[in-house]
Amino acid sequence: MGVVSYTGETLPAQHLASALAGAGFVVGRPKLVERTLLDTFDGRLHAAGVRLEVRAGTGLQLIVSGGGPAEAHLVVDRLPSVAGDLPAGPLRARLAPHLDIRALRPTFGVAALQTEAVRRDDSGKAVVGVTLYEDLRVDAGREVSLTWVAEVVPFEGYVRPARQTADLLASLGLTGRDGDILDCLAADAGIDLRGFIDSPTVSLDAAEPAGGGFRRVLANLAGTIVANRQGTIDDIDSEFLHDLRIAVRRTRSILSHGKQVLPPDGRDHFRGEFRWLGAVTSPRRDLDVYLIEWPGYVEPLDPASAAALQPVVHHIAQRRADEHGVLVGHLQSARYDGMLSAWQAWIDDPGGASLAAKRSARPLGPLVVGRIGDAQDQLLLRGRSISPETPAEELHELRKDAKRLRYLLECFGGLLPAAARKPFVQRLKALQDNLGEHQDTEVHTAQLKAMSQELHGSPGVTADTMLAMGRLTEIFDRRRQAARDSFAERFGAYDTKQTARALADLIGAIR
Amino acid sequence: MKVLATYSIKGGVGKTTSAVNLAREAAISGSRVLVWDLDPQGAATFLFRIRPKVKGGTERLVSSKGDLLEHVRASDIPGVHVVPADFSLRHLDLHLDGRKRPTERLAALLGGVADRYDIALLDCPPSISLASESVFGAADALLVPVIPTTLSSRTLHQLSMFLATQDHPPALLPYFSMVDGRKRLHRDVMAELRAEWPALLVTQIPSASTIERMGPERAPVGVYAPSSLAAKTFGQLWAEIAARLRT
Repeated sequence: MGVVSYTGETLPAQHLASALAGAGFVVGRPKLVERTLLDTFDGRLHAAGVRLEVRAGTGLQLIVSGGGPAEAHLVVDRLPSVAGDLPAGPLRARLAPHLDIRALRPTFGVAALQTEAVRRDDSGKAVVGVTLYEDLRVDAGREVSLTWVAEVVPFEGYVRPARQTADLLASLGLTGRDGDILDCLAADAGIDLRGFIDSPTVSLDAAEPAGGGFRRVLANLAGTIVANRQGTIDDIDSEFLHDLRIAVRRTRSILSHGKQVLPPDGRDHFRGEFRWLGAVTSPRRDLDVYLIEWPGYVEPLDPASAAALQPVVHHIAQRRADEHGVLVGHLQSARYDGMLSAWQAWIDDPGGASLAAKRSARPLGPLVVGRIGDAQDQLLLRGRSISPETPAEELHELRKDAKRLRYLLECFGGLLPAAARKPFVQRLKALQDNLGEHQDTEVHTAQLKAMSQELHGSPGVTADTMLAMGRLTEIFDRRRQAARDSFAERFGAYDTKQTARALADLIGAIR
Repeated sequence: MKVLATYSIKGGVGKTTSAVNLAREAAISGSRVLVWDLDPQGAATFLFRIRPKVKGGTERLVSSKGDLLEHVRASDIPGVHVVPADFSLRHLDLHLDGRKRPTERLAALLGGVADRYDIALLDCPPSISLASESVFGAADALLVPVIPTTLSSRTLHQLSMFLATQDHPPALLPYFSMVDGRKRLHRDVMAELRAEWPALLVTQIPSASTIERMGPERAPVGVYAPSSLAAKTFGQLWAEIAARLRT
């Protein structure tokens, strides 16, 4: 039995207090409290069934619930921004896997005048509580119609007192609903506690006109770009930029696949604009990746070498701060605003010549089937041509081919049953992991060499630092070579009858 | 979930006092804590103001149909739940003896709540028996209060020797309890035992009237005397135990 909240138009305050006192409750004195839910932008805790609340009254208290009858409580000096801000212990261990590198932010909160009433048994043990909230003020710039909420707070193992209290409130003409005051007010204010759902997949029908299907996919991606812009500018966490960039890449890829159904003038213009947006977001993202992955990079080094690399970390962090400033300038520029506005207008009504309009009326399903088939053929053709002597650029091109195919499967996932998609995507992902490792280590090797030049002779950079950079470069190079050496095996595992069958099953599901 | 047991062969050494106070300290450090009172005297149950009643009795609890969650009661300490004791626990040995693999039964019952709590604290009766062996089979560590007297140190040796005969013994975390620094005997025994037992925890619980008030207050020290030396010492003891659990 969980918390049940009772509300109504007018509070029978005196009536409620006297009824509770008559039922053996001791009513406390009112006090001001603030209760706020914390979650990531994309609602990772909510998705995991975990709730993190902060209560501010005489201090700050974190309360974690979900996944069992007991709540975890922890008094903190300040709100945690990321999992690493929490002290080591079970509460951090519980939250960290869900949060990963995402930052916590307030999703919804209420300030109120709180009065607690408790009923105890003969031993003085609390068996049920009623908490009344009045003078409600919610944040997030929302209005609520409710003016008071009374929560019945059951205690684990004391079902009967909670039922008796529910009956008592029902006898006063009040009706309850499952959930506490935050659930109740969020519903009243129309706030979705699930957070931003970042999915490239939209609802699609194979028989619908292809133009409309492509535009719905692009509109969804535009929504992701818009949603992640402010968090990128505010630098809340690195995932905002990551998700914005993925949406840009997907957009470019879908525009490329939409050659037959989207008017060419607008398509070519926006392909150029999204190429620009992708390019201006790259420098900060590259440095984000460096900083995120750094602990893993230096793990194979001895502690002294890792410590000697501190000036390098500082240099990367400084460059990242500089690049963030440049990025903010781009995201707040007239070009960005104009491009996004024009883009959203074009998605709504791309216009175009009658030929394009006629093509866009073709059914979506067969067109997507054709594009998936072509993307797979292109991938296999290039992959089969790669030998140990082939320049690395061809592997990078192959990685792009694989991404194009993957984006098709994700963005048009609305046509594909998940059960048919998974076996094929697993195979593709295994190949992508190999290609990603190869390219990332190559890029990082080159960047590290360039940084060695930049840092040479800089204050605080010692011979030990330069030696440690050399060791790190060697580690990257070994990893790059290992990825390259295993490519043939990985590609061989992908280029099989089983993969072809998995793809045929997938395409068959569309038809 | 880490399973800890306050355990000693000897009675009256501060097992229940430790269990109740450490449960609160673990909870205010962010853990979800389940205290399981295994002592038929039900002292921990009493201190948490919970009725000493196990529905269906111990026989049903340790049976194949037994489920700890059915018996859980919320305490007045946020984050601390309790499985109370009742007098039928005096037959725990008997009921375990009637089962296959009796020494694994408590571990199996705790396994059913392992994803719902971070810490299980078993408050054990003073004996060495089949029930004790079942506790040893379930616990990650035994928290052993030792009064700095000759007899208490002797029982620590006995326990250590017994655990040495077990296949997978829990970690042994002894600490001094009910210490009276004015007594020469206490000082001498502590010096001797610290030399002999490097694993002894640094924190030592004093003999204090504040702790004795737990009976009439029916609450952990930190509830009614949060600024007292005793309350702070239990906080330090928990911090030390938590650090040992992480290593």
